[in-house]
Amino acid sequence: MNFSPVHFIAVPLLAAFLIPIIGRFSKEVVKLIPGAVLLYLSYVAISLYPHTLQKPIVEIIAGFKPPFGITLYYGPLAAFLVTMIMIVGFVIWLYSYKFIIREPLEKYYMLFLLVIAGAAGIMITGDIFNMFVFLEITSIAAYSLTAFLRDKDGAEAAFKYLLIGSFSSTFYLIAVMLIYANTGTLNIADIATKMQSVPNQPKIFIMILFMVGFGIESELFPLNGWAPDAYSQAPSPIGGVFGGIVVKASTYAMMRFAFVLFDFRSTFEFILVMGVITMVIAEMSAMRQQQIKRMLAFSSIGQMGLVMIAFGVGTDASVQAALFQIFNHAIIKTLLFLAAGYLVFHSGSKKISALDGLGHNKPITSFFFALGALAIIGLPPFAGFWSKLYILTSTAKGGFLTVIVLILISGIIEAVYYLRVVSRLYFKKDVSKDSVRRTPLSGIVAMGVLAIVIILIGFYPHLILEYIQPAAHDLIDKASYIKFGLLN
Amino acid sequence: MVYYITAILLILIGMYAILTKKNIIKIVIGLSIVDSGVNLLLISIGYIKNGTAPIFSVEGLTPDKMVDPIPQALVLTAIVIGLGVTAVALSLVIRLYDHHKTLNINKIRKLKW
Repeated sequence: MNFSPVHFIAVPLLAAFLIPIIGRFSKEVVKLIPGAVLLYLSYVAISLYPHTLQKPIVEIIAGFKPPFGITLYYGPLAAFLVTMIMIVGFVIWLYSYKFIIREPLEKYYMLFLLVIAGAAGIMITGDIFNMFVFLEITSIAAYSLTAFLRDKDGAEAAFKYLLIGSFSSTFYLIAVMLIYANTGTLNIADIATKMQSVPNQPKIFIMILFMVGFGIESELFPLNGWAPDAYSQAPSPIGGVFGGIVVKASTYAMMRFAFVLFDFRSTFEFILVMGVITMVIAEMSAMRQQQIKRMLAFSSIGQMGLVMIAFGVGTDASVQAALFQIFNHAIIKTLLFLAAGYLVFHSGSKKISALDGLGHNKPITSFFFALGALAIIGLPPFAGFWSKLYILTSTAKGGFLTVIVLILISGIIEAVYYLRVVSRLYFKKDVSKDSVRRTPLSGIVAMGVLAIVIILIGFYPHLILEYIQPAAHDLIDKASYIKFGLLN
Repeated sequence: MVYYITAILLILIGMYAILTKKNIIKIVIGLSIVDSGVNLLLISIGYIKNGTAPIFSVEGLTPDKMVDPIPQALVLTAIVIGLGVTAVALSLVIRLYDHHKTLNINKIRKLKW
């Protein structure tokens, strides 16, 4: 069959708009639609992948040839990330199937699909204004999902997120405008060819606006104040959506711009320094959190700092390490959020101290949480070990020894606060009286799939490395992006 | 030039409102002022004095007498998005008022770092 990258945007959007209508007739069908959509899109993503290796797929929308019309650029990098978010999205849907039992169900699934469509759009599009539109689709859906539980804190977290998010999109729009004023085009590949003639001062100003705009969504310090609140007040699977999908999309955008438009040395130094600061501060804040989901949120910020460090080093090996870390973070942090969701549900409190002894009462969920915790700290034989190792070796080759020391110290802090939770789960006396409610099968299957992937990659890292190498080349190779993006 | 200055002034006024006002409705108003400022800035990039619509309607009309249509198309999209964001923001304000019975942002701060 003839698939096209347009499906990743069009199908979830269409499904999202149909869901409220179908919801009037049957709630059960509404629950099944996102699963079917995501399964279909995962299939499309996997079957398109071999084609992208030969030549990036460039889709022209509405017959306007680049640089005039909107193009979709679907290279190995986009293919890798889109496949990742579709599969993570499917797992999160599987988990939500029994976890989200509150009304309005159809709104939850509608917003969930909108986030997926927006994130896929950011990764695929080759047009900066189009990217702004997708960024807004993703963020507006994310604001609403944060407030989904209709409680006091949810509204507050969502309002905070909305304020910061609007700032980010304003900065991004001003950057788009300055680029258009300076180069007269909106196509990324075309801008890249004309960026040489732009004087340095506006260029640096535009770069700062871009970094602020996407730094907010990719949780760069000091723009990440929204993250802990939004992660902890949204329903637990949505924590996985933020960490595994939304943040990845804007990190992709940031990296694409850094490598294609602003490829001068100081950009990467800036990203490196911001990554280090983000990581250190986030890990120290995570240490003193009392609530488990806030702790996971800070840990997620710290991991993104690590990704930024690896991107900032800027060599081929370090970009591969960063993409590996992005993938690992997407699966491991999603597993942690999914497991934490049921731990919170069973203990009836968001506090870490309420988790005492749950390992005896709820062995399966606790096991998955412990596995995720060990994997994210970077212990062998789990997936997290390899990406951390690659980041360390590539940073060492780049000659940033202070950075390595800081990464290792943060790793120790991370181990301390994760193992604190795990030890509470297993080595404390059981205080909960709740032994009736069980984790439903769909939740266990969802977490099980992620856990199997984590262990499998831990033993056979080359399974994923062979997909990462072409993706990293796609990101670094500016010349081929311009060549294919302009259809030459 | 005067268009740019006005637009930037509007953006700054909006940001001032977002950063200093205590009433959350005023903050939302600030957000939409920033939006208008950005839209105005976008429009003024494509503007030419005494320019006309980019349609070859009159004999002898050359492209250098036409305004750039792309910023206008972008602004149409940006206005719609701004409307959506404002609507979400106001619905959250209603929710916040229901829970807290106040619009003062200093009194709504249970969540902290």
